Amino acid sequence: MELDIFSTGFLSALLAIVLIDLVLAGDNALIIGLVARNLPKESQNKVIFWGTFGAIAIRAFMAIIVVYILAVPGFMLVGGLALVWIARKLLTPEGGGHEESHLAKPATTFAGAVRTIVIADAVMGVDNVLAIGGAAHGSVLLIVLGLAISVPIIVWGSKLVIKLVDRFPSVILLGGAVLAWTAYTMIIREPFLVSWFEAHPASKLVTAVLIFSISLAPWYAERLSPQMKPLTVLLPALLVWMLAFEVAGSVWKMQVDYLRATSEGEYFLEGLRWIGWLPLAALFLWAREQFLQRNQRAARDTR
Amino acid sequence: MLLIRRSHRAANAVRTVSPSGELFVASVVICMILAAYGDAVDPSVFGELGFEYALFDLGGEFSVLAMRHWHLLQLLLAGGVMATGIMVLRIVAGAFFRPLEPAPPRNTEKVPIKL
Repeated sequence: MELDIFSTGFLSALLAIVLIDLVLAGDNALIIGLVARNLPKESQNKVIFWGTFGAIAIRAFMAIIVVYILAVPGFMLVGGLALVWIARKLLTPEGGGHEESHLAKPATTFAGAVRTIVIADAVMGVDNVLAIGGAAHGSVLLIVLGLAISVPIIVWGSKLVIKLVDRFPSVILLGGAVLAWTAYTMIIREPFLVSWFEAHPASKLVTAVLIFSISLAPWYAERLSPQMKPLTVLLPALLVWMLAFEVAGSVWKMQVDYLRATSEGEYFLEGLRWIGWLPLAALFLWAREQFLQRNQRAARDTR
Repeated sequence: MLLIRRSHRAANAVRTVSPSGELFVASVVICMILAAYGDAVDPSVFGELGFEYALFDLGGEFSVLAMRHWHLLQLLLAGGVMATGIMVLRIVAGAFFRPLEPAPPRNTEKVPIKL
């Protein structure tokens, strides 16, 4: 998709790329610091320069490749689903302690340091590259511009980024929301699904709510009381149930619209669609309760 | 993602976020879902029902059905406006309802008048 420079669409896509880079692409600076810490002082500056250069080059190359890969049917859907998982991971609070990457071991030679930086960046930058590939709407110019703006900020201004997200943690939440929105636009733009979504417009809304309910679950789960926590599973499950009936209706040519149902079988399907999930939800709640009680008993016994 | 894990507040953003920041992001998410709703709704259905004026002609631009064309910048702006509106409403409503709340019955200064 071609976007006019300085149009709202172009600036919005650029903003999305910069925001995604800010929350996801900070690994470069950290990896370079970790790898270079055991080198002699004179080698450190060279490693920082070439490591940064290599990291930017590999990221730009991967992002451009992703734009072309996403044009292949099916990849937009897979990329969108991966972004949902990335957004969820971004918002999930950490268990405790910093997780250091096993890829970023301190190096002892200049060549070894640059090689480690480039490999670690290629492996750890996949999520970021996928996200900006999806947000760029197929525009290579946007990807290059986005990287040119955000990578120097991240590499040379990583302390500034840490200060920003430390002072305003809402930037992380906003990043998660933008990732979820990018995932939604990627999924509904999937060439396989475009015509299906046009024939089933209501499914777009269900898909959007489903994506947000999965991606932002760590956020709203924090605000729910213990009794309401199962909602984080039940809400997405109910939306998947509804979507599954729409998909089944298209695949097996069944009538799942209650206004157009004519035969008994179709009315039965309608009933199943609207109230069939209730026993499953009750079963889930019962199993969850049993599991929690067993855990409590086990904790009491060990005390 | 490793960089933000270096900051405790950022790594636990869902717990440490400020109420106003949370309200802003929640408003943006609501705007995004409304945009998806505008994309999902078939305008002709509302036309047939006679609701078209109420739903998508509020100035021609600002309506749920027009939101389908909105980009991220517009959604952020609308989220900001919505969050500000909700905050102002909360302050105004709070200022209005607080004097109506009865004081605790056992409070010594139930009637805040000193002679």
